[in-house]
Amino acid sequence: MTATIRDIPLNCPEATYVEPVYKEAGMRNFTNLVRTMLNDYGVYHVQFNTINKETLIDAKAHPENYPTLMVRVAGYSVYWTDIAERVQDDIINRTEHSF
Amino acid sequence: MATPTAGAALGNELRAGTVAKVGSTKRIQELNGMLHSNRPNVDITRARAYTKVYRETEGMPSLMRRYKASAEVYRTLSDNVYDYEQLVGWPTKRIRGANFAIELHAHWLAEDLPNLRDRTYDPFEITDEDYKELEEDLLPYWKDKTMAVQWGHYVTPEEWDRAQFGGVSDVSNYLCANGSHFIPAWTEVIQHGFVKYYEEAKALLAALDPNDPASIDKRIFYHGILEVLEAIRDWGERLSASCARRAETEKDPQRKQELEKMAEMMKRVPWGPATSFYDACETAWAVCFFLFVEGAGPSITWSRFDQYMYPYYKADMEKGILTPEKAMELIEELYIKVTSNVWFQSTQMAYIFGGYYRYPHLDVGGLDENGKDATNELSYLCLRAMRYVKTTSPAVSIMLHQKTPDALLYEACELAAEGMGHPSFFNCESLYSMLEHRAGGLHGYSNYTRKDILKFGSPIGCVEPGAEGLQYGHTDSGIINVAGCVFAAVTNGKKATGVDGSLCGEVVTYESGAPESFQSFDAFYEAVKGQVKYAIDECHANLLICEKLLAEQFNLPTFTILLDGALERAVDATAGGAKVNIGPTMQMVGFGTLVDSVAAIKKVVFEDHAATLAEVAEACMKNFVGYDALRAKLLAAPKYGNDDDFADDIAADLWKWFADCTMVLKMYRGHYCDAAIQMVQSNVGYGAMTGATPNGRLAGQPISDTMSATQQADTNGPTAAARSYGKLDFPAYTNGTLLNMWISQSELLAQS
Repeated sequence: MTATIRDIPLNCPEATYVEPVYKEAGMRNFTNLVRTMLNDYGVYHVQFNTINKETLIDAKAHPENYPTLMVRVAGYSVYWTDIAERVQDDIINRTEHSF
Repeated sequence: MATPTAGAALGNELRAGTVAKVGSTKRIQELNGMLHSNRPNVDITRARAYTKVYRETEGMPSLMRRYKASAEVYRTLSDNVYDYEQLVGWPTKRIRGANFAIELHAHWLAEDLPNLRDRTYDPFEITDEDYKELEEDLLPYWKDKTMAVQWGHYVTPEEWDRAQFGGVSDVSNYLCANGSHFIPAWTEVIQHGFVKYYEEAKALLAALDPNDPASIDKRIFYHGILEVLEAIRDWGERLSASCARRAETEKDPQRKQELEKMAEMMKRVPWGPATSFYDACETAWAVCFFLFVEGAGPSITWSRFDQYMYPYYKADMEKGILTPEKAMELIEELYIKVTSNVWFQSTQMAYIFGGYYRYPHLDVGGLDENGKDATNELSYLCLRAMRYVKTTSPAVSIMLHQKTPDALLYEACELAAEGMGHPSFFNCESLYSMLEHRAGGLHGYSNYTRKDILKFGSPIGCVEPGAEGLQYGHTDSGIINVAGCVFAAVTNGKKATGVDGSLCGEVVTYESGAPESFQSFDAFYEAVKGQVKYAIDECHANLLICEKLLAEQFNLPTFTILLDGALERAVDATAGGAKVNIGPTMQMVGFGTLVDSVAAIKKVVFEDHAATLAEVAEACMKNFVGYDALRAKLLAAPKYGNDDDFADDIAADLWKWFADCTMVLKMYRGHYCDAAIQMVQSNVGYGAMTGATPNGRLAGQPISDTMSATQQADTNGPTAAARSYGKLDFPAYTNGTLLNMWISQSELLAQS
């Protein structure tokens, strides 16, 4: 049986990373959505933007506060500040789903 | 230069050196900071090498000139070694440089060089000295010789306009990004090194029979391959010497030891076999950037990194010379290094696709060659590394199967919840089915064996199915704007006025019937299908010319070396050297807009009789000015993405129609065309060229992206959207499909 990441004792004392607190129900819905859509419905590929819409709207107005904000455009991730305004608008205009 | 207010000019300024020092160790944090303290910059090493060789080789066979030019690039690559690095070698003199392909870009760059430093999207720094050399020497040599210029010799000026800025079918992206979307033979090259290919080419050259006419071209081929390989060998020796020089002057004893180790390593790899996980990472890095420099496109793919690297990881762990943390640190360094490879695009393309991104792909999970789950510790570490290092590249992804452990899926979903857009989720079963039929035509089969697919199959680029060392052909190529097609179907072949691009208000496809002539929905629907087919056929004709030009003049020796069996066949990658030759492919953009437009016409015109098709056509031509009531009715019609069969049946049928029209077309090298729906952010650019559409969308607005439902039209939640998508025939899209979804972070994280 393959170990999970939690069985690999990662010791990174210098790391900058702080693990967020996950919402159990939301994460369960999320993993079930992926499993069902791919393994049961046969959808070939999916990728997600998960930044809240209001954050993106604020980032468009105040890019100086979001120098390292990344978004998925399509097939690739990119810094928010590096993309054209009309592309930012299109991403903001996509449908933000909740469960 | 004025203070930038938008675009990458601003982004670069904001990030410069201060904010991006993240990573699992101090070393990674410093390397990440170094990445961001460098602005994207133009490197002319490759341009200079190509120009020098081309001037010296006038009159020689075309393939010989290309191979010599590639070798010259390796001979002139930088030997810089920076602080904190463990992996050696850079494609450019400065970090975040673009060693761009002048033979593809010179025609537009000759015009636009003065704007390059200050353009809003994807600005590039360039030294005054290099600027002058480009302006006075290099660009004048190439500006009338690029692939796009040569393609123009085969078509009329009107056909040129239609295929580049007409906004319905397009090949301009393809002509500026060749030599891409490739998975080299990673397992082989890491295990044996380039020396294996050198010995093989020498033996094949020696075995040629000069009395056999086939030997004439083969001799040139092998001599060229050997010259390229010798240049790769010499590059390794140069870099080893560079590390040794750094070690000599290094004061810090620990760093001195590291540099000595690096010097030793560069004597072993990538020329020879990798003896450790560290060596294997170095080969993975060097080969990746070799291919990025030789080609010009955005995606050289690491593919199933957790599989071909695992034997080295496992052996080193057993020997006690590696820890998971050390392995992850090397993976993070690979992520930083590959992000430093910025993509160089024309000003017009940057306006559509800007962001400097390239998308080397790195996949984890999937099945092994015996059909068992292939997940291992590296699968987790590759995903976890991205959480620490937070780079835009590579596009990490998980290959999901029924047998994939929930723990790995959960790790992937946790990464997705962080909001960087990583990872992509792929369904192995659909992938394997696509590969079985790759380039095989309607109902046909590819040359892949089941074992090839299970062991080596993985996505390339964004989503395109490929296989390690077995497949060549650019997947990111012909573009069909199907929203433009539905506009043409209601306006008897026209393009709107007042939108971007050329030929506004003119017939850009063919006259499929005046709107008042359609007496039934079926008759109109035939016109829609006819417009789609017309655009595909026109694009196909243009792609054939591209392929001929590339096979004759854009040969790629390093790609060829890393294709299984290509040396024995003595055929360049571009001319059909791979086991499975594919592409160029046909990609659909604006699918949701097409489906919703057809559904709206069916409902409003032919079922409710609330308007005539002529009125809809008039409203679209006038961008709905004075047609608010009609627009409201069209907007209220059923929409794709809501689990509503009224729209989804149309979706499933048009989806299949596009694939069927594509898969019957034979390409230049004899295989069949593949269909795809993945064309990244081009929905914004094509939207700007497209008039108002019958789904109620206004002129110039973005059309729907990739295969996703129209923006804001999927109002019934993610499950209903997923059910709509599940009605489509995925294996029919043998060049892949791409779906964007958006889940609120507040659903997933407690504090956001």
